[in-house]
Amino acid sequence: MELTIKQQLSSPGGVLKFLVKHNTIFIFILLVIFSALISDVFFTSVNLSNLLKQVSGIGIISIGMLLVILTGGIDLSVGSMVALLAVTFAILVNVVVLPAAILLTIIIGFGLGSIAGYLVAFQKMAPFVATLALMTIARGLGFIYSKGSPITFKTPGGEFMSNFANNSTLGVPNIAIVFFLIVILAMVLLRYNVFGRLIIAIGSNEEASRLSGIKVNKYKFLVYAISGALAATAAIIVASRTNLGSPNMGMAWELDAIAAVVIGGASLNGGKGTAINTLMGVLILGLIGNILNLLNVPSYPQQVVKGAIIIFAVLLQRFESK
Amino acid sequence: MKTSESEYRLEMTGISKSFGVVSVLENVNLKVKPGEIHALLGENGAGKSTLIKILSGVHQKDSGKVVLNGEEINPKNTHDGQVLGISVVYQELSLVNDLSVAENIYLHKLGASKFWMNWKELTKDAQELIDSLGFKIDASATVRSLSIVQKQVVEIAKALSEDTKVLVLDEPTTVFDPTDTKKLFDNLFKLRDKGVSIIYISHHLDEIFKIADSVTVLRDGVDTGSMAIADTDTDGVIRLMIGRELKDLYPTRDVQIGEVPILEVKDLTAKDTLVHDVNFSVRPGEVLGIAGLGGSGRTETAKLIFGAHKKKSGSLILNGKEIKTNTPVCAVGHQIGFVSEDRKEDGVFLPLSIRRNISVTNFKGIAGKLGFINIDNEYKNVLGLIEKLNIKAPSSEVNVKNLSGGNQQKVALAKWLSIDSKVIFIDEPTRGVDVGAKIEIYNLINEVAKKGVGVVVISSDMPEIMGISDRILVMHEGTVYGELAKAQFSEENILRYSIGEQLKQAV
Repeated sequence: MELTIKQQLSSPGGVLKFLVKHNTIFIFILLVIFSALISDVFFTSVNLSNLLKQVSGIGIISIGMLLVILTGGIDLSVGSMVALLAVTFAILVNVVVLPAAILLTIIIGFGLGSIAGYLVAFQKMAPFVATLALMTIARGLGFIYSKGSPITFKTPGGEFMSNFANNSTLGVPNIAIVFFLIVILAMVLLRYNVFGRLIIAIGSNEEASRLSGIKVNKYKFLVYAISGALAATAAIIVASRTNLGSPNMGMAWELDAIAAVVIGGASLNGGKGTAINTLMGVLILGLIGNILNLLNVPSYPQQVVKGAIIIFAVLLQRFESK
Repeated sequence: MKTSESEYRLEMTGISKSFGVVSVLENVNLKVKPGEIHALLGENGAGKSTLIKILSGVHQKDSGKVVLNGEEINPKNTHDGQVLGISVVYQELSLVNDLSVAENIYLHKLGASKFWMNWKELTKDAQELIDSLGFKIDASATVRSLSIVQKQVVEIAKALSEDTKVLVLDEPTTVFDPTDTKKLFDNLFKLRDKGVSIIYISHHLDEIFKIADSVTVLRDGVDTGSMAIADTDTDGVIRLMIGRELKDLYPTRDVQIGEVPILEVKDLTAKDTLVHDVNFSVRPGEVLGIAGLGGSGRTETAKLIFGAHKKKSGSLILNGKEIKTNTPVCAVGHQIGFVSEDRKEDGVFLPLSIRRNISVTNFKGIAGKLGFINIDNEYKNVLGLIEKLNIKAPSSEVNVKNLSGGNQQKVALAKWLSIDSKVIFIDEPTRGVDVGAKIEIYNLINEVAKKGVGVVVISSDMPEIMGISDRILVMHEGTVYGELAKAQFSEENILRYSIGEQLKQAV
């Protein structure tokens, strides 16, 4: 069984080992303390709820990215998928009833993800290449269907979604609640469900998985399809926040999602990573952006800091594996 | 500093090394003369590899002295070691799959040479080197396309160079069949006669007694003895290795073998490999050995039955009913298990825990309808198997990469016992496994058979396959060439069938 926290701390060098093992959470806590110290505005409810709203979309696709990365793959298409699906949702919400628009958007997302899944699992295409191609296709389709300009919500259904996306329940933004529910679902699936166990097994050794009688192709296919469905969910949320679907949405989000998963300690070789740590990765990235905004740091230096944090996090994980 | 003339080429004295709080070597001595083959023995975890890694510069010793040719040396990395003339062939193959044989052989010399490489010339040199070893390998082929046996040969060729003074070989023959092993030994004798000091690590005691001049035994990080090979025997060495008397390596077989075959294989022919027209049957409770030279199609036959390779024709009958095993998924569904020969490559999940490794085949048994795992049931099943198989680990949550070879192999087996397999194929059950764990695995195979499972064991280790099998099939060029009943078991008979000869008529 797992060692208790007390046992871990009392073993030789225990405190340091404990810190290194849970480094993502500690970086997160340090950042929160640091932010609170240098800015009066940070701990206001307006700022925190803004922060959560900003990260929810990327957070949701990060969970899909985590599932794909656990199998040893990568999904570069998710950012563009958010754009295409946000446009799709905006079109649909103006022509069909709201539940149908939501459901159809998610189904289309699942379908688009299935194409990547099919190419990777059954055509043995390299995940990087297959999803790179889909990335440009999805972005292109987004511009074609929207004719290059944003599509505004015009129906009561759209208004309802816009209200939902901008309001809070018990002080927590609704869209953050959706994100957290997805994180919890992923946690449960990865820990207590055969699906999670098998994708981790596949990522840690695909041939051993095949020789253990695991339907490797089926599960590899599924993770891309699920990633597509989660991209659709994120698209609905970001479109609803601004009351429109634009082909410029989700620009480079796939990179932020990968960064969040990596900061969360997942291995790009597959087989290693958890949902809770990916959540931490998402929050860390969001926090850095937030605090730099509060300090009025312009956006270009922000990118430099983000990159430095990724390097720092990955270096820390080196210690862990030693 | 130059010490007085010594009869030894290499003297390692009082070597100690610990990793964190774990002491791996304590005051160990190893002395090797020029022109001798010195065997280094010990169970897995006894400290052999660490000692070698200190010699080659991978690890740094905590205390002690290493003297080479009368001069104290302190290699800080493997490059230092190579410059000093110390070459090591490690157990784990360290070749670059996408480069050619020649490129691999000269890879470690790249940094030292001039800017431009003359690959044409190097390929020619590499070819000459391999030819001189007596193996047939194309020096311009990519390493990926080689068999595991050929890869091992390349690994050995890589370690040889003009100025090698000390050559260390760690379990070099595990993948070799007897013919290849003999070729290797001839090469080692040649090198020895040229004055090279050879340190030879092996679990095969019969090999040691065939080739070594002297031997040093390690147990739990301490050297328990060093002597000329003529002054000891197998029992003596085993006593030093495990600290106790060893009665029988192989368990007595008192299993009731069923009459009706549990699995029948009829006219099985592969689509993509050389396996053709294979016919045999296994009965419940029987341990069936499959012998043959490397490349004779033993592993391929097992993989074909298991669905990992594609079939062209033929049929399988399990318990009287014809079954189809077009994929491993189907085979596992019919409760057929397969423990692969390359444990680390595709047998176990190294970065995952023992629990996750064992459960991977058995989700039907421990998960509900929606795939949610009953964790209590899972622990019960896994802990039961850990106890039954005597897997040595502090808990079920330890990652398999931290276990010894023997315990890893037990985990690979546990996976198939977990689903009550009816037939289990075990490819090279004890490759790279120490003597103590070997006995446990043999007993385990025996016990599994006792439950009415048909066990098919593929092995290149002749004493092993004769020791544990009830019957042996010998493969030659992709098909079953001959069958030996227990009374006919002998190395000669296996070898004769392996090379496509008939048995000598009994006089």
